[in-house]
Amino acid sequence: MSRVLVIEDDLGTAAEIASALGDAGLQADCAHTGRDGLLKAVAGAYDAVVLDRMLPGDLDGLGVLSTLRTIGIETPVLILSALSGVDERVRGLRAGGDDYLTKPFEFVELIARIEVLARRKMVAQPATVLQVGDLRIDLLTREVQRAGRPIELLPREYRLLEYMMRHPGHVLTRTMLFEEVWGYRYDPQTNVIDVHVGRLRHKLEEGGLPSLIHTVRGSGYVLRAAA
Amino acid sequence: MPLRDLPRASGFRLGLFFLALVLAAYLILFGFIYWRTAGYLHGEVDVWLKREMAARIASGEAALRQAVEDHLRLDPAGRRPFVLFDAEGHWLAGNPASLPAPLRRLDRPFNFTLPRDNAPEPFRGIVHRLASGDIFLVAQDMRDIHEFRDLLLGAMVSGAALVLVIGLGGAGAVGAGAVSRIDAVTRAIERIVTGDLSERLPGGGTGGDLARLILVVNRMLDQIERLMREVKGVTEDIAHDLRTPLTRLLAGLERTRRRATTADAYAITVDEAIAETKGILATFSALLRIAEVEGGARRAGFTRLDLNTVAADVAEFYEPVAEGKGISLTLERGGAPAEIAGDPSLLFEAISNLVDNAIKFTPPGGRVAMRTFADGGRLGVEVSDDGPGIAKTEREAVLRRYYRAEKSRHTQGSGLGLSLVAAVARLHGLELEIDDAMPGCRVSLRGDGGRLHPAVQQVGMSVGM
Repeated sequence: MSRVLVIEDDLGTAAEIASALGDAGLQADCAHTGRDGLLKAVAGAYDAVVLDRMLPGDLDGLGVLSTLRTIGIETPVLILSALSGVDERVRGLRAGGDDYLTKPFEFVELIARIEVLARRKMVAQPATVLQVGDLRIDLLTREVQRAGRPIELLPREYRLLEYMMRHPGHVLTRTMLFEEVWGYRYDPQTNVIDVHVGRLRHKLEEGGLPSLIHTVRGSGYVLRAAA
Repeated sequence: MPLRDLPRASGFRLGLFFLALVLAAYLILFGFIYWRTAGYLHGEVDVWLKREMAARIASGEAALRQAVEDHLRLDPAGRRPFVLFDAEGHWLAGNPASLPAPLRRLDRPFNFTLPRDNAPEPFRGIVHRLASGDIFLVAQDMRDIHEFRDLLLGAMVSGAALVLVIGLGGAGAVGAGAVSRIDAVTRAIERIVTGDLSERLPGGGTGGDLARLILVVNRMLDQIERLMREVKGVTEDIAHDLRTPLTRLLAGLERTRRRATTADAYAITVDEAIAETKGILATFSALLRIAEVEGGARRAGFTRLDLNTVAADVAEFYEPVAEGKGISLTLERGGAPAEIAGDPSLLFEAISNLVDNAIKFTPPGGRVAMRTFADGGRLGVEVSDDGPGIAKTEREAVLRRYYRAEKSRHTQGSGLGLSLVAAVARLHGLELEIDDAMPGCRVSLRGDGGRLHPAVQQVGMSVGM
């Protein structure tokens, strides 16, 4: 089971994050100061860290993060911040952060991102072929096959599928898909992503094959091998 | 004006400072004149005394005694007494006088007094011991010279007094004027602080440092008042748009507490509450975003980009939506690259907002046309549709936050879209224009782009996307 460290000074928020992570099947520990968080992050073998940007005391979020990176701990870190400026975000990522989420955020968004981060640690070796159930894509030739039959995809559809194939079984929110596949960074607040996913799904299921892409109500999508 | 404030007035202080300077210069100048004049007069006396003494000695003792007798007849009042004393200092001949005792120096001029009309009078004289041992004195009455000197001193002192009085009066007048203006300004500022934002500082006069400062401060107050009015308007808008969903949320929860009996009923309410809260959160986030964009902070993340690329991405992003609604979405690219210093995500969001609106308000079977252009320093992107369009009277209003044309009240959205587009456009030195496409509506972002902000071209920081 993946272990996640939550460093957040607001006790209520920390408890909510921990319980949401627990419901998602992740084990969460909490720390409420930068110092405590740093000690736990160094001592424990965590798969991901949720780090509040603003912490009371002499060690704030970025301080914890740069200390971790300096001593060679590469645990993926998601920064939570009330500061949404693009330069704030850049500063956070430069300090060694892997993802950045602005308050107020939806918990499904946080959980989805943490699951992807926590898993990233395990899939380290580069692959040239990805396979989920009877769906298979070749990362070099960009060929897509389902049950041995080739499927023609537009470049954007291919990138959408590739991203989902890299994170099978994980909920991917619309914002995550948009950021990763289209490369722009904001919360689009439209159903346009759904239309794109719908088209891709339609192509993958042509000929009455069972669904691979499933809608998770209120969250996003998950790619899972047909049972 | 309270008089005790006068010493604190800078005009008064400045006046005092200059008064002190003028007085010091005056005293130095007149002291010098006094010193030189007195020195000159004494010098003239000494020259005469030495010349007379030398002439009498040279003429021999007999002639000297004769000259003393002759002089007594010529000058009986003793204005310039010639006196002869014996070796012990007893009077022998000449004007009645006594030898100043003790006799300190011979052959050099010295000051002494002689009793005249019951009062001692100042004299300056020179003595010489003759070969016979007798002592010869030549002197000059100094009363006239001293009177002249006193007159000079008196004139100087009254002059200084006049300067002092005029200077103090002037400094007081200047200081009082400044204090009364400052008092008026202070009163105005106090009224502003207590909440009367329509109050302005009293102008008074055309020139002067204070008048210029007042002009600038008044302009700043205009700006603050405008901003405050806007903030007030926005706050009321927010209150209005958040109050409705919050009321619905609360009503739903209370109804469930009153009536619900099954787990399913609770589950439905929870789902509704979550959806409602998400909507509130979205409105709230949109407001924060607009504030952030309008704050101009994002310029730090500017990079050089081509509007053609962003527009093509938007077109590609919306193509399936348009197709699903039976609308043709086309992009006509200008030949030249439309390079601009900007934030790609914000521009994508702004352009996609325009396209989203166009698709939303165009009936099935219609068309939405995007066009980019760059020529002669003007560049931009425009989106036109053949939907219902926006009435001329409503074009200004749609740019305001939360405004939604009456006929679109029932469509989805926070009503913040165009405000955000306008804010993004302003940030990039572009103008948001709405005109008639006959039929339909044409919205464009145009301007000379990054050229308005040459500073950002040096930043050139690429945003992690």
